Amino acid sequence: MATIELKHVDRTYGGGVKAVDDLSITIESGHFVSLLGPSGCGKTTTLRMIAGLDAPDGGEILLDGKTLYSKREGLVVPTEKRGMGLVFQSYALWPHMTVAQNVAFGLEMKGMERKAKILRVGEVLELMHIASLEKRYPAQLSGGQQQRVALARMLAVSPDVLLLDEPLSNLDAKLRLEMRVELKRLHETLGNTVIYVTHDQLEAMTMSTKIAVMNEGKLQQYSAPMEIYQKPANLTVASFVGNPPMNLVRKNGSAGRSGEPAWDLGILDCFAGPKAGARTIGVRPEDILLIRPGSRPTHSGEAAYWIRRARVETVLPTGSEWIVGMETGGVRFFASARDEPCCLDAGEVDMAVPIASLHVFCEDDTRMKLS
Amino acid sequence: MKPAIAITGGPGGFLRRFRNNIACLRYEPTILVAVVLTLLLTYLVLVPLGSMLLDTIRVTLKDSATTGMERGSFTTYFLQRTLASRVSRVLFWRPLLRTLLVSFFVALIAIPLGALMAWLTIRTDLPGRRFVSSVMVIPYMLPSWTFAVAWLNLLKNRRMGGAPGILENLGFIPPNWLSYGPLPIIVCEALHLFPFAFLLFGNALRSVDIQLEESARVLGAKRSVITRRIILPLLKPALMSALLLTVSRVLGSFGTPYLLGSVVKYHLLPTALYNSFKVGSPGVAAVIASATILIGVLLVTVDTWFVREFKRYITMGGKGAMKRTTPLGGWRIPAGGLAALVVFIAVVLPLGTIILSSVTMQAGVIKPGNFTMAFWVGKEIPAMPGQNGVFFNKEILLAALNSLRIAGFAALIAGLSGLMVGYIVVKLPNTAIATFLRQVSFLPYLVPSIGFAAACLSFFAVARGPIPSLYGTIFLLVLVMSMKYLPFAARSGIAAMMQVGNEGEEAARICGASWLTRIRRIVVPIQKHALLTGIVLPFITGMKEQSLVIMLASPGTEVLTTQILRYIEYGYSQLANATVLTIVALIFGLTFALERITGGNLASGFGGSN
Repeated sequence: MATIELKHVDRTYGGGVKAVDDLSITIESGHFVSLLGPSGCGKTTTLRMIAGLDAPDGGEILLDGKTLYSKREGLVVPTEKRGMGLVFQSYALWPHMTVAQNVAFGLEMKGMERKAKILRVGEVLELMHIASLEKRYPAQLSGGQQQRVALARMLAVSPDVLLLDEPLSNLDAKLRLEMRVELKRLHETLGNTVIYVTHDQLEAMTMSTKIAVMNEGKLQQYSAPMEIYQKPANLTVASFVGNPPMNLVRKNGSAGRSGEPAWDLGILDCFAGPKAGARTIGVRPEDILLIRPGSRPTHSGEAAYWIRRARVETVLPTGSEWIVGMETGGVRFFASARDEPCCLDAGEVDMAVPIASLHVFCEDDTRMKLS
Repeated sequence: MKPAIAITGGPGGFLRRFRNNIACLRYEPTILVAVVLTLLLTYLVLVPLGSMLLDTIRVTLKDSATTGMERGSFTTYFLQRTLASRVSRVLFWRPLLRTLLVSFFVALIAIPLGALMAWLTIRTDLPGRRFVSSVMVIPYMLPSWTFAVAWLNLLKNRRMGGAPGILENLGFIPPNWLSYGPLPIIVCEALHLFPFAFLLFGNALRSVDIQLEESARVLGAKRSVITRRIILPLLKPALMSALLLTVSRVLGSFGTPYLLGSVVKYHLLPTALYNSFKVGSPGVAAVIASATILIGVLLVTVDTWFVREFKRYITMGGKGAMKRTTPLGGWRIPAGGLAALVVFIAVVLPLGTIILSSVTMQAGVIKPGNFTMAFWVGKEIPAMPGQNGVFFNKEILLAALNSLRIAGFAALIAGLSGLMVGYIVVKLPNTAIATFLRQVSFLPYLVPSIGFAAACLSFFAVARGPIPSLYGTIFLLVLVMSMKYLPFAARSGIAAMMQVGNEGEEAARICGASWLTRIRRIVVPIQKHALLTGIVLPFITGMKEQSLVIMLASPGTEVLTTQILRYIEYGYSQLANATVLTIVALIFGLTFALERITGGNLASGFGGSN
């Protein structure tokens, strides 16, 4: 059991920068939770506060109901006594120790006897598929191997809570995929609580049981990955998650962000529900169907569509999909499709979006509930 | 998994809070270490300097006896006397002028010579260029006063007393202007300092990408135009640094002007300061010392400003930084001859005269039958009552022991504190205490050695509170030396810690390691080379230090370098030379050993103050 609770945690750095702002979140035991957000959003600070390497300025942090930090009670449990595991972005392997020595260190700190220690080290190296490297020094390892050693070092002490700080960002794309599989496998076998900091939405989406999206020190949304993707709680989440990002258009007359053209949101009329207060419409690229101008989407059945003519600007085939850039009403749209769109040569297409796939956001940028 | 601190009591109770904080300090005592270090540096660096500045307007005990003014009262008398009175010309202005003059000529010789040698060894097909460039750092490693000793061996005339030099024995009696005064001082300082220029220009030249020249050539520029418009402007920062360094070195070096100038009363600021301290008024000495400190601060400020100004000049040594040499053609042989001559004058000749002098019975007389090992292994040397050869000489052995002890402890203190400053700067980034430590640990760098020694002497010579008078103790020399070398140690400590970062230690914290365990098993092993360098380099510098210790050494705390001066004053030049060789052998041995262990090239890391 290892449930972590953060209650109204604040962290302000010198110069009054609020790295973490009134953060409350409960990370249930056994979950794989990603803290996702752009750099500087406070996710690493949050992780370091959970680990005890950084002290909050206010609030409480609890582990299974026991206080790790409390401003009110003036209580701090030092890092050394929290018994967590933390893998750093730089791996932070000790260069003067061999792989086996690196992995054994935590066990020694626990006072494990020699025989048991050697056994456990072998076990963990085996688990990470690096048993053959035990005599090597970190400098003699590749990036991927170092990554495995860093993980092994923390897994050796069987921590109930494993903290990972962008552990894959220094690996190349192929290794990253491999390690994602590995991490997910480890979590499924070991069942400990994992908190994973990343700015890579793909990592967060693929591995997590829950994602906490953060921005400017504030928690934006805390839900299961598909929920984050399909029902982003606000504009920040909507625009951060998804690649290519969600197409966003703003209602005419409302104050748009600088440089964004305002747009007539006539499509709102498609909705039967309440429309007052709606300001922004979002469309996922893959929800856009590209059809010959003036035609109807095939297999449309009874679904209602919003259709709009657009001028084709660019076509970017990635191999697995086609990304099409279009312009309409002063706004650039991206659509993505698995098959080559049929009608690009004409220079103009109609974008057809099922009404049910539209995302609508209120004036305060939160998601609008449509009945 | 249980909280470490299970103290019962009402939430927010003061006692509970306090106990928790103490408990946390046990795990993370960095802040405690920082506070202790801050107090220590304040007391050892800031307070003595401040006290000396105050002494320029405050009457000291000695001055109150001679001038009749009340002790501790404030006066502008010393400022007036030093800067604007009948005697101020002799006391201050003339030495200052001469210091600047000597610096100017030293720079005039050392910089072009160093630049030329750098260009020849790096950019041309000079014969034996690798050898030349590795030998070129030797004069830099030798103590600066070695050259003055060698000069006296060669060119001393009867004026100074004791045995005359080699040339006079050969029948050529050197005139006074050749034996003593500005000319020999300038030549000796220049011979010691041109390797600085060599290294500075060498680094600058190496960083100038050959493609920069080639781009100009493609655009149709002639060689002369390329040199004038491309190369020289890029070397400007090196030139400025070399110039300022020269002045600051001359300002801080005591041995050379003392050995070569005192006889003919040609005083530079360091020797003038020494005289004021030894025989004159402490108030006047304080004014002169403050002036040297002021000039030192000024020089470093200007240098810092130039470095920042020239930041935009930093050339990127990209992938295309190819090495290509210019063929010297017909000039190859003359250039090779010149390089050989420089090596001969700067390395072979001085070391040669010193070796010779240490093995001649009658100093400076080179003929068969006059050679002896008496000054090394002999007992009861004739004409030197009570003196044995180096290996059996009580005075020398005591001085050697003192040198080793003082330089050893000082280096240990400097190296450890330097690394600790680095540790704190990395652990507590952007905090006031880290900034303070970084700046105060750098402060002694601004202060010329002899001025720093003067400040510490006047402060620690008197019993203050619980701390007794330290004058005449080894402790004083250790303290002063460790603080003077702290800037180098701190700078390398900060660099080393920055490079390794904080995460290695944090990973150990996560694993549950206590602070001491982390220091012992993580920080020290990772930093062992940095630590070794941070201790051995100050140790080597300390072994050859003269400017800093000359005022602090007293009978019983003489070190090798001050003992050499005594011997020269007595006219025991062979013993002096043998002692010089002992130091040189120690320096080279240690440097070599350190290079072997750390695998680095230390020549460029050398930063002695004498």
